[in-house]
Amino acid sequence: MIRHWLRDPLVHFLIAGAVIWAGLALVGEPVDPASRTIELSRERQAGIAFGFERMMGRAPTDAEMDSAIERWVREEVLYREALRLGLDEGDAVVRRRLATKMDELAGAEAALARPSEADLERWLAKHPDKYREGDRLTFRQVYYSSESAAARALASRDPVGEPISLPAKAVAMPLAQIRGTYGEAFTARLAELEPSSEWRGPVASGYGWHLVRLETRNAGQTPQLSAVRDRIEADWRAATIAERRQRAYALLRGAYTVAIE
Amino acid sequence: MTKTLGCWVALAALALSGCDSMDTGEPTEDQRGDGTATIELAEFPDRPYWGDTHLHTDLSVDAFGFGVRLGAEEALKFARGDRVRSTMGMDAQLDRPLDFLVISDHSDAMGATRRLYDTPRILVRDPTLRRWYDMMHESTNQSTMAVAELITAAANDTIPEALMDPERQAVATRELWDSHLALLDRYNRPGEFTAFAGFEWTLMPDGNNLHRVVMFRDGSVKTGQVVPFPGIDTQPEQLWDYMAAYEANTGGRVLAIPHNSNLSNGMMFDLVGPDGGAMSADYARQRARFEPVVEATQIKGDSETHPFLSPNDEFAEFGVAGWELGNLPLTREATPDMYAGSYVRSALLRGLTLEQQMGVNPYAFGLIGSTDSHTALATGDEDNFFGKQTNVEPRAGRALASQNLGTRQGRFGWHYLAGGYAAAWARGNTRAEIFDAFMRREVYATTGPRMVLRLFAGHDFADSDWDGDWVRAGYARGVPMGGDLVDRGRAPVFLVSALKDPEGANLDRIQMVKGWVDANGVARERIYDLAWSDMAGVRRRVGGAIPAVGDTVVRREASYTNTIGAPELRATWRDPDYRPGQRAFYYVRAIEIPTPSWVLFDAKRFGIDLPAEVVETNVIQERAYSSPVWLKPGRSPGAAASPAGRE
Repeated sequence: MIRHWLRDPLVHFLIAGAVIWAGLALVGEPVDPASRTIELSRERQAGIAFGFERMMGRAPTDAEMDSAIERWVREEVLYREALRLGLDEGDAVVRRRLATKMDELAGAEAALARPSEADLERWLAKHPDKYREGDRLTFRQVYYSSESAAARALASRDPVGEPISLPAKAVAMPLAQIRGTYGEAFTARLAELEPSSEWRGPVASGYGWHLVRLETRNAGQTPQLSAVRDRIEADWRAATIAERRQRAYALLRGAYTVAIE
Repeated sequence: MTKTLGCWVALAALALSGCDSMDTGEPTEDQRGDGTATIELAEFPDRPYWGDTHLHTDLSVDAFGFGVRLGAEEALKFARGDRVRSTMGMDAQLDRPLDFLVISDHSDAMGATRRLYDTPRILVRDPTLRRWYDMMHESTNQSTMAVAELITAAANDTIPEALMDPERQAVATRELWDSHLALLDRYNRPGEFTAFAGFEWTLMPDGNNLHRVVMFRDGSVKTGQVVPFPGIDTQPEQLWDYMAAYEANTGGRVLAIPHNSNLSNGMMFDLVGPDGGAMSADYARQRARFEPVVEATQIKGDSETHPFLSPNDEFAEFGVAGWELGNLPLTREATPDMYAGSYVRSALLRGLTLEQQMGVNPYAFGLIGSTDSHTALATGDEDNFFGKQTNVEPRAGRALASQNLGTRQGRFGWHYLAGGYAAAWARGNTRAEIFDAFMRREVYATTGPRMVLRLFAGHDFADSDWDGDWVRAGYARGVPMGGDLVDRGRAPVFLVSALKDPEGANLDRIQMVKGWVDANGVARERIYDLAWSDMAGVRRRVGGAIPAVGDTVVRREASYTNTIGAPELRATWRDPDYRPGQRAFYYVRAIEIPTPSWVLFDAKRFGIDLPAEVVETNVIQERAYSSPVWLKPGRSPGAAASPAGRE
């Protein structure tokens, strides 16, 4: 039961909030919107100066630093006063923004988590097609501008073809590259052929007609985890974040009764 | 109590927002860097890699205001071929993935409109900003109008200071930039898909478009040491200083790509220096060094040339209508004397003249196309056009509506082109390989179709070269597109090949565009037809003219057939008008048979009746422009600045 609780996004949320409060209280950042004391820590000042330097390529002068601080203070004062007046309520943008931040909070832990090897292996085993490499084909092709010429040439052991600036031989070319080079129609037809020492065709393409001798087809393998670790980790993380958000919402939603008149 | 708790939750959420992004894993070293030594490279550039170097997402001040709510991550997914959901809720996917992408959000107030939108209304203090804020929240239409006002304000220098103040923006920009760079690294996969860091530098004095896209070669280790350079109140020389400092401080490389010269009212390729006086050799050298490539075609029109400048060019009108009227917001109308500074071909000519005077050519640039889409969707395809910006994503009526960018006069939806692509001849798909192709100008522009265009220049090419490995011969005995050919006192010979897009239309013809300075110092241009379909048959040349290729477009169906034209055109061409010592450039233009533009696809899809004029304007002949080869005098009187000399 406690284990279940510990995995609960809402619990994470509350703990994260508490930790932040503790942290902010310790470093003395302005935490209370009702307070009328604004403390400008050394760190905050350094941040303002650094922001200036990064853009302008030089440190701010004293006067520039003063005006940057004044602007920051002005914003902070107005921000606190706005909260005091409750202006954050009833504003559609604030409402949506806060809802988004709740979502982000629910996913925040997953965004930083380091999945174990086992997590990733499980993910790969569950979605092998997503990571399977495309087939690679080795073939020769000759080109004809008319279908009948291509059909006639099929009788020859060594068809010559007409000139065209396409590779006459492709070695272990990935399907995606075949598609980009020879076009969709040609690639679709090639995908159906079985390797053979015979010339086949005519195969239509966006250029005309081809005779093709498909020598080998290396079916794409599902790669080892090590080869696609980054991709899998990214996908695992995105899915985990989405799932936690959904669970967090479901949990919160369960505490509400919604009456629609 | 409730209120207090609400505030606490709000602040807790704010405090946590530092880790808010959809952070999905650490990129590897390979993804983080420029890709050197990560993949096996071809012996020489063996295929063109396709990309878009000019795409805006929700970080751009105008794109967000126009309504886009897709960010860089969706843009990257779309470009690499994934299906995404457009802002207006439509499924969007490319037929064929792109190989590379530069996300080029405006550096000025990067993310500012999004932050304005996210700010509680009471905190928006400036009355103008307050009004824009309200418009943005009202509807996409109102949001678009707010941005139109914003563009006009930028052009007239009346932007509220609160929006543009660089100091105030600095911290926010850095946070955005850092997380953006991390995202790019994650999506950058050497050998599969290249994600470049970049931004758009948006200088627009009096509304005249002097914009550049800035593109970095490097990963976040280097690009994270700077932030995007703002355009407001700066000059190109300052941008180049920024770029030089980046290179000196980080050891990285960066280039800038001017675009929409057609909307600059003659300022983009001026004959004089920025202060109106004579152009200095130093200015010219800097420009040549940092701006090796120009974007010649995109959604907001085609900048190759204008019928006024090229009266003997029967294909000069492509993508000119509407855009020729004046600058970007149409605050100033254009007059014909401005055109020579607004179009690419005349700029290349001016470059030759300036080089003769100063010994340096400021306008020795290669050519690419791109989209300049503000929808986060990089598509230049006529049958898959998602519009210039979000409020003109596919819907009935967008083709006939006025554009309303600053003015409602003269420019309509149907003046938009679907946008172009950049093709880079590279040995592999990495940041380093593709960036270096840009630097040596071995790139070309298309208006959307993926034609394969080759150009080699040498002195001893012959027809017999086509029988063997002519690409190897081209590299061994000549220079590829973008190169300099040193004059040897005899006419240069060119190998030219254009192969159609395998999914697209046949080719009408290939042409050589030559520009040179004659013995009297006058800049001249001439177009030579090199090869065309049915050359020996029905289209045999009669007198000087070649019969038109024909037209198979069924207007109502937005369809055509490849029963005319040719799948590939090749030529070995020796310049018949060569004179020893001549300064010249040569670039190839490959032209497709007529096809329907996006406007006709729209009309069919939404069942719209278009006026006859609009229908006929939208039967188009799409094309590719190679980067030029320059013929250089054998004994160089001055050190010619070429981008290749940057080492």
